[in-house]
Amino acid sequence: MGSSGPFEDKATGMSSLLGELSQAGCAWACSRRLTEDGLPHRATEWREWWMIASNTDWIELPFPLERLEYEACRLVHIGLRIRTVNDLSGIDMRKPSVKATVVAFCLGLSLVAGALGAEDAGRGHAIYQKLCVECHGAHGEGVKGKYDDPLTGDKSVARLQRIIHKSMPDEKPKLCEGDDALAVAQYIYDEFYSPAAQARNMPARIELSRLTVRQFQNSVADLVSSFSGGNGMSDRRGLRGQYFSSRSYNGKHKAFDRIDPQISFHFADGVPEWGGTAEQKEKGGGFKAEEFSMTWSGSVIVEDAGEYEFTVRTENGFKLWVNSSGEPTIDGWVALGGMPQSHSAKVFLLGGRRYPIKLDFFKFKDKTASIELRWTPPRKVDQIIPERSLSPDGARPILAVATPFPPDDSSVGYPRGAAVSKAWDEAVTRAAIEAANVVVRHLNGLAKTSDKDPDRERKVKAFCREFASRAFRRPLSDDLAALYVDRLFEGAPDLETGVKRAVLLALKSPRFLFPDVGGDNSDGFAVATRLALGLWDSLPDAELLKAAGQGRLQKADEVRRQAERMLRDPRARAKLREFFHQWLKMDEVEDLAKNAKRFPGFDELIVSDLRTSLDLFVESVLWSDASDYRQILLANHLFVNRRLAKFYGFEEPKKPGFQKVSFDSGQRTGVVTHPYLLTSFAYTDSTSPIHRGVFITRNLLGRTLKPPPIAVSFGEQKFKPNLTMREKVTELTKPRACQNCHAIINPLGFSLEHYDAVGRFRTREDDVDKPIDAVSEYQTDDGEIVKLKGARDLAEFAANSASAQRGFVIQLFNHVAKQPVQAYGETALADLRNSFAASDTNMSKLLAEVAVRFALGAPAERDKRSATFRPLIRPIAAASVFQSEAREGSALQRRERRAPTN
Amino acid sequence: MDTRTRRQFIRDLGVSAAAAPFLLGLPGLASAGQPVKRKRLVVMFSPNGTVPWEFWPDEQGEDFQLKRILAPLEEYKSKMLVLHGVSNKVRGDGDSHMRGMSCLLTGKELLPGNIQGGSHTPAGWAGGISIDQELKNFLQSREETRTRFGSLEFGVGRIDRADPWTRMSYAGANKPIAPVDNPYHMFEKLYGNVEDRENLVSVLDAVRGDLKKAAGKLSPEDRRLLEEHAQFVSEMEKDLKRAREQKLAVAAPDLKRGVTNENDNIPDLSRMQIDLMVNGFANDMNRVATLQFTKSVGQAKMKWLGVEETHHTLSHHKDSQEDSQEKLTKINTWFAGQLKYLVERLDKTPEPGGEGSMLDHTTVVWTNELGKGNSHTLDNIPFLLIGGGCGFRMGRSLKFDKLAHNRLLMAFAHGMGHHVETFGNPQLSAGGPVDLG
Repeated sequence: MGSSGPFEDKATGMSSLLGELSQAGCAWACSRRLTEDGLPHRATEWREWWMIASNTDWIELPFPLERLEYEACRLVHIGLRIRTVNDLSGIDMRKPSVKATVVAFCLGLSLVAGALGAEDAGRGHAIYQKLCVECHGAHGEGVKGKYDDPLTGDKSVARLQRIIHKSMPDEKPKLCEGDDALAVAQYIYDEFYSPAAQARNMPARIELSRLTVRQFQNSVADLVSSFSGGNGMSDRRGLRGQYFSSRSYNGKHKAFDRIDPQISFHFADGVPEWGGTAEQKEKGGGFKAEEFSMTWSGSVIVEDAGEYEFTVRTENGFKLWVNSSGEPTIDGWVALGGMPQSHSAKVFLLGGRRYPIKLDFFKFKDKTASIELRWTPPRKVDQIIPERSLSPDGARPILAVATPFPPDDSSVGYPRGAAVSKAWDEAVTRAAIEAANVVVRHLNGLAKTSDKDPDRERKVKAFCREFASRAFRRPLSDDLAALYVDRLFEGAPDLETGVKRAVLLALKSPRFLFPDVGGDNSDGFAVATRLALGLWDSLPDAELLKAAGQGRLQKADEVRRQAERMLRDPRARAKLREFFHQWLKMDEVEDLAKNAKRFPGFDELIVSDLRTSLDLFVESVLWSDASDYRQILLANHLFVNRRLAKFYGFEEPKKPGFQKVSFDSGQRTGVVTHPYLLTSFAYTDSTSPIHRGVFITRNLLGRTLKPPPIAVSFGEQKFKPNLTMREKVTELTKPRACQNCHAIINPLGFSLEHYDAVGRFRTREDDVDKPIDAVSEYQTDDGEIVKLKGARDLAEFAANSASAQRGFVIQLFNHVAKQPVQAYGETALADLRNSFAASDTNMSKLLAEVAVRFALGAPAERDKRSATFRPLIRPIAAASVFQSEAREGSALQRRERRAPTN
Repeated sequence: MDTRTRRQFIRDLGVSAAAAPFLLGLPGLASAGQPVKRKRLVVMFSPNGTVPWEFWPDEQGEDFQLKRILAPLEEYKSKMLVLHGVSNKVRGDGDSHMRGMSCLLTGKELLPGNIQGGSHTPAGWAGGISIDQELKNFLQSREETRTRFGSLEFGVGRIDRADPWTRMSYAGANKPIAPVDNPYHMFEKLYGNVEDRENLVSVLDAVRGDLKKAAGKLSPEDRRLLEEHAQFVSEMEKDLKRAREQKLAVAAPDLKRGVTNENDNIPDLSRMQIDLMVNGFANDMNRVATLQFTKSVGQAKMKWLGVEETHHTLSHHKDSQEDSQEKLTKINTWFAGQLKYLVERLDKTPEPGGEGSMLDHTTVVWTNELGKGNSHTLDNIPFLLIGGGCGFRMGRSLKFDKLAHNRLLMAFAHGMGHHVETFGNPQLSAGGPVDLG
């Protein structure tokens, strides 16, 4: 053994070699799907592993070192022979293949490829057909009278082999032994026996689901609001300010009223600018610096659900109410004196709604005066509440239960209510108690009665019945009214306690928590239920329930009309916004911070602004008349404020706040080149064509990539100096096995190399002082080669790619319905794709169609209705193409179910 | 369905439910205190000064006669310390009412601010922690004296403003603590989770029953989800039943229902709050409490005494207005009656796990923000102590000459085992805790 080799002694040498190997490697592991514990799951793959190890520069053991011996023993069972070698002398450590061998040698083992080859699958199939199919059926489903039960289970291949070797076929075990038994065991395991195969083979179906966390929160909010009155839309912006020339809000000292776009005033030792008429000023004498006061009121418009921290910064006295009609959210009436100070409170709010806000302010004898109304929205930074988030129109408080919930299952790529847990049940209980307390506190208002009302008891009970009925989304039968309401009052010491129990029970009832439970899933109420869940993540409103009650929701046209109406509600916007956050992976990358030395000025304020900018861009396209999906990828404008313009070197907008800026240079093309995403999919020091490429492949082009089972760290030190990022990635992913996926990923990522790690356009790569090469050739899923000269070509390609559009439809359906689209009939996906294409890829129309399809339910339910489903617009000639894609799409989704991404 | 009433349920419910992990992750009922001798401090506040000639005994020493206002407390004379001649010497911003109130338990100047009183300069919040909170922190910092709440702040009469006239407890400079002026809210704070649990018990069987019914109509795959859910529901039921088998040391008070938080109900509200306070002590939820009647400049209208005028307005009337002074005497005598009810309740409750009565382990201080209403003096502020918590020699009437009240606050701290070297303004603390034997 050469002294320069890594193996000075067995123990330390081993770990240093492995360290070296695992640093670099992703070759084999990336290209092969592994079992859950990180092991190849077929004997043939083990052999392949060995082969690759002999031919590539790096390998990485797909399991911890200490397991090698154990795994080697396992290999015996799947046909690989192992021999013990104790003598390591004379081995040339410089040859990579030998390195890999030595890994095994060091544990006294050497792996030698065994008898199994790629032809084994065929052999297993042949043996199965010959010896097994008679009793077990063509797909292991069983044969009545022979062997009834399906061949499914969780035994290992090795164990199956032993069983077959010893006892199969029944009474003639000699017919199938040894390698034959192994081949057929492997075949059975892969095709239908293993849990993975079972999941793969299960037909898509609509699974019973509970409300997701968001659906629960929205439903509770809307349930209570349905009694107290909701908050309509408001187009006006800013807050209504009433100014007074004394410290009391006394009408006599009223100076003037005006709309203030935002609350950020710094009066120093002076007074507010006069906003009334000269006549008013003359009459009242204007302001004096010693004392004045203001009260601002209206509502705050919330787009994303989450915890909002409200902050009032002042050296004077104030009270702030947010979503509260009683106690102030922050009481700072007594000034703390001296410098302005921040007073904060956190409030949980749901998206797509307006909440009442009121700020009382006064100055009295303080040296100076100033006031700022600020907030920190989820995933953003502390900032003055911008004009676009304020409305001078009043609103009623909304019950947003603040109880924290465990997150929903998102293993299939979107949050859904597929599982229950003790933590979830307890959270529901806590939230129900929270809601019940609020209902009791506002009982008179909600039940439209008063303490002195002689008819109070009757009204309160009627309210509870109506509450349960709305919670269950359908009329309440007498039996249910007795169970859910009447009985509770009999055992309660007083009326309020009865109400508390009725609310608690309604919100804990399976009829509320599982929307498909407790009614006929094909009636109009079920349609209304799904429509409201699909578009609002909430309960049907009064109009929807009325339509259901009148039997109008049996007709697809009426369902569509309702969907179009509901689409105009801000709650639908909130739901779509959440979809885009998911589709663009905006909630996955936690920290977008960059190396401050390399990107000076790129701070959390910029990140927060970029997020706002991306939201504004998506919404500007989404809620335009055309609502054109292609513009999401192609539109040449961005929304920037002065801070962003300065950092990115764009022309500064003339007005404050975010303004639309168009780029004629071709340097900006929709979300593809939005700096938030370019930053998000990049390293802290440099770009990452791989991350960008993977995002584009999966999310923008709708293709699948097998998950890389091993995290690979991109080590700069591995490379020769003066390589461009593109050259490094090319070298890193050169091995044939890598190329399975990286042939797709890399060209897409390279086409964005004109944008640095914070999304600024560049023509040279500074570190190495070489020009950017963003030209690449991308092979489509049909095998066609597309030349991409840069971001614009990529965006054009994505915008017009059939598979990209299909991916978008599937992901939108999943998000709306929280169920697989395949469960809605064989043509569901094709129908939706057709209507999407025919509507010039209009996203809001697609949303309506998706919601309608979901609302009308599975084919079996739809068949019960007289009206059949008709797409919005007649399919165009390309329908047959889409049909075949639809089937492909369903196969694709099944694969995804088996191996959830990320 | 369970048909026991809430009251029965709460009476039956136990202290050690707290020691067991509480079902809903809410705080437990009480901490399992160690068996050491408990000491408690209560500060009761009534506003607008007193009527000196009807309040202060003429005599000094152990032999003294109670005047009209203190007459209701005759029975507790031997456990009483009447401290004449104590002054609030804190100066600085704010009018006498503000300083009287917000410096009463802090002994420190107010911070500059924007709140204008009837005279003097405007001011802000107190500049330091109050003695009740100081003692709470001290007790909570030690394992053997730690309790669930440490301290509870009770209010009587609607206290709906937050300014230096309405707050005497401070967690620190600029950190006023609002008294809970609604006994039902206080009940919820102390026993609310118990109510929630009982409400839960009363509905869970219906949930389970309906789940079973609903599951029957579903396919086997879908049924699985509901069955799992049902499993969690019955686990919760079992947890609740376990919780219910454990006992409170003392049952929760059975509060009168439907008492609204308004002026005319002050007598009922007072009684309810005192019941809750004594109950909380018995269950060792806290060792420190404050009981604040209205607020400085409080305008209670004691119609139940036949007084139709508001309290603060009356307090401005001259000494020569006999009718007004008579009414003020009635008002203050009524406050003494509330003190008597508190002291009596403590006296009649045996010390849980200890010797004697709860009063033997509790010092109740009755005080005021002013000495006298029409002069707004901060001298001769009423300080009346009853009970044995701090270990003072009781049964005496003492007269001091303008003793800085900081030294008295320090005496409370030392009596409770917390040996502070100064409290509030250090200059005013000179001389250390006043020796009360």
